[in-house]
Amino acid sequence: MKGRPGISLLVALLVAGLGMPALAQKPVKIGVLTPLSPPGDASAGQFIVRGAKMGAEDVNARGGVLGGRKIELVVEDDAGTPEKGAAGFRKLASQDQVVAVVGQFHSSVMTAAQVLAEQFKIPVFSTQASARGITEKHLNYTFRTHVIDPDRVQLWNRWIMERGFKRVALIAENTDYGVGLVEETKNFFKSMGVQAELKTIIFDRAVVDLTPQLLEIKNWKPHVVLNGGVGTPVYLIIKQAYDVGLFPAVPMLVSYDLPVRPEFWKNLGEKGNYVSFIVYYHPTMRLTGRGEAFRKKYMAEFKEDPIYGAFNGYAQVVLLADALNAARSDKGEDLVRALLANKFEGWNGTISFSRGEGPYWQQWTPPMLVTQYTRPEMPFAEVKIVFPPDLKTGDWAPGPKR
Amino acid sequence: MDPVLFSQYVLSGLVIGVIYSLMALGITFIYSIMKMINWGMGEFYMIGSYVQYALIVTLLGPDLWYVAVPLSMATVFLLGLVIQRFLLRPMFVGGIERRDEYATIITIALMVFFRNLAIVLGGPNQYAPPDYARPLTLGTLPISGNRFVALVGTLVLLALFYLVIKQTWVGRALRGAAQNRVGIQTAGIDVLRLDMVAFGIGVALAAAAGALLAPDFLVYPENGAISTFKGFEIIVIGGLGSVLGSVVGGVLLGVIEALGSVFVSASYKDLYGFLLLIALLVFRPTGLFGERERTV
Repeated sequence: MKGRPGISLLVALLVAGLGMPALAQKPVKIGVLTPLSPPGDASAGQFIVRGAKMGAEDVNARGGVLGGRKIELVVEDDAGTPEKGAAGFRKLASQDQVVAVVGQFHSSVMTAAQVLAEQFKIPVFSTQASARGITEKHLNYTFRTHVIDPDRVQLWNRWIMERGFKRVALIAENTDYGVGLVEETKNFFKSMGVQAELKTIIFDRAVVDLTPQLLEIKNWKPHVVLNGGVGTPVYLIIKQAYDVGLFPAVPMLVSYDLPVRPEFWKNLGEKGNYVSFIVYYHPTMRLTGRGEAFRKKYMAEFKEDPIYGAFNGYAQVVLLADALNAARSDKGEDLVRALLANKFEGWNGTISFSRGEGPYWQQWTPPMLVTQYTRPEMPFAEVKIVFPPDLKTGDWAPGPKR
Repeated sequence: MDPVLFSQYVLSGLVIGVIYSLMALGITFIYSIMKMINWGMGEFYMIGSYVQYALIVTLLGPDLWYVAVPLSMATVFLLGLVIQRFLLRPMFVGGIERRDEYATIITIALMVFFRNLAIVLGGPNQYAPPDYARPLTLGTLPISGNRFVALVGTLVLLALFYLVIKQTWVGRALRGAAQNRVGIQTAGIDVLRLDMVAFGIGVALAAAAGALLAPDFLVYPENGAISTFKGFEIIVIGGLGSVLGSVVGGVLLGVIEALGSVFVSASYKDLYGFLLLIALLVFRPTGLFGERERTV
């Protein structure tokens, strides 16, 4: 009998001692819903995950959020398909109870996920999904720190006008992204007064043989081809355009930064030379303190320059941590309020969200540049910026006729 | 319509159709002997492309790609033997009542397994072996050297297959098994061993397609899906169990898809083959060269 109060006290102390820190350290979970397997652009997803993980490590090294709680990432594969994306979002929201979701890459998946974000009241971030409709719907829980297609199309239209191309062919996949590019290009050709003919072809994303379409384009005698594929189709278009004698005699512009990836040259060899492509990051760019620290750490860890997807994945996790601290809460509504009311240090500038007109709703846009490879195996760090004129570091070069 | 351009469309469809027929031949051959559909055929195509890539990049180098093709086929042939022996043979010896369901479940499980194994081992990214040959012109058609090699390789394999089936003892036994599995056992032929050979040959044909098309259509975990899909369409068009039907069906599908995607819309390329397939099922349910099953 004598020992009982002592034992009870000991047990109580143990429970209190073990339980209190456990409660204090309950992590804040952030979901990373991104393509990690085909038919999604899995390579893009891997870079986003790398950046997001480093963002979480960075925040945790600085003491976490909300008074010492660690950030825990829950990574989920959306495989680039809306159905898997929706299932993944449901799992993150209901089972893992994440406070926000980042990593969205494919516009069609983001479109499915943002509906669920409203239902679950969890902010979802587009990391590289650029379709206009995503932010044009003016949903409360949808945020984007990536370019939107109207801006992308305006950039390439200005480039087309500068280069004096009079016949423009656009081959795009039948996804929200590809179809959006076609519609935006048609609209902006009129509104920007582009003095050029436009031919558009939308192909089924599952198709691997695009030879008939590329022969059709070649026969139309374009001055430039715009490559509106995502992932594997980008490579297939370049390869098959080369094989039918269309490219590099006719210039080709890839609509996003896929060519900066290490596997580009492995997959295409010399066929990838002279390709022009849009990027959102260039190694010569001036970065914020955060961006520069991330870049150094990334290079030390992966022995290569980070690419934009990694930067953006990193920045989204870090800004969410800042927003959690500003909100002093992990509730979705509070987080949205904090995201709208504050400014955050991104990788290359200050990120803020406002509820603007049309697609400029809870939207922050990084810079966009046109670059070009001019020799096989050219490292991205040596690539010249060829457009816009005020940021230009080199001249655009036409490819040889075969 | 420019006749040169039209001929280019037809030729491009014809080339890809012939190559697709290799896949269809594998499916229909396995069906003829084992009376089962191999739903995981695309994954043997995928494995063939990975083995080809691995052999070229690590062991043989880009100049010996033509050595890598038979080695890829042999690897997948052996894999096929093992799978048939341990996973599919039980449906013929274990007193299984619902053989079709058994084969369907096993081959779909294999499909999922191999696809995920490829992601685990090789990652989800695309790979491409170096080109087999420089681009060239075939008639009016500017064509990838790889595609031309694949076309020639397919024609050689089709000829070899025909010779083996028509001229060799094994070929006669396989034809016998296709006609009557019970009947050939009375002639002293081990039909279970024949099944192993048939399954191995069938999946090796798919691997050949994967290996030949690897530089053009890339190497990644789901690259077999589209060719399986085409393979099944072709065998229905050509007639299940017909070798000639596989080739003719492949060419028809290739040409119709090429013309439809240019003259109607590229967004619905897969639809044109299905329209042909539906029309055939309405007017000739056995396919172009298929025969009605006769039972006594």
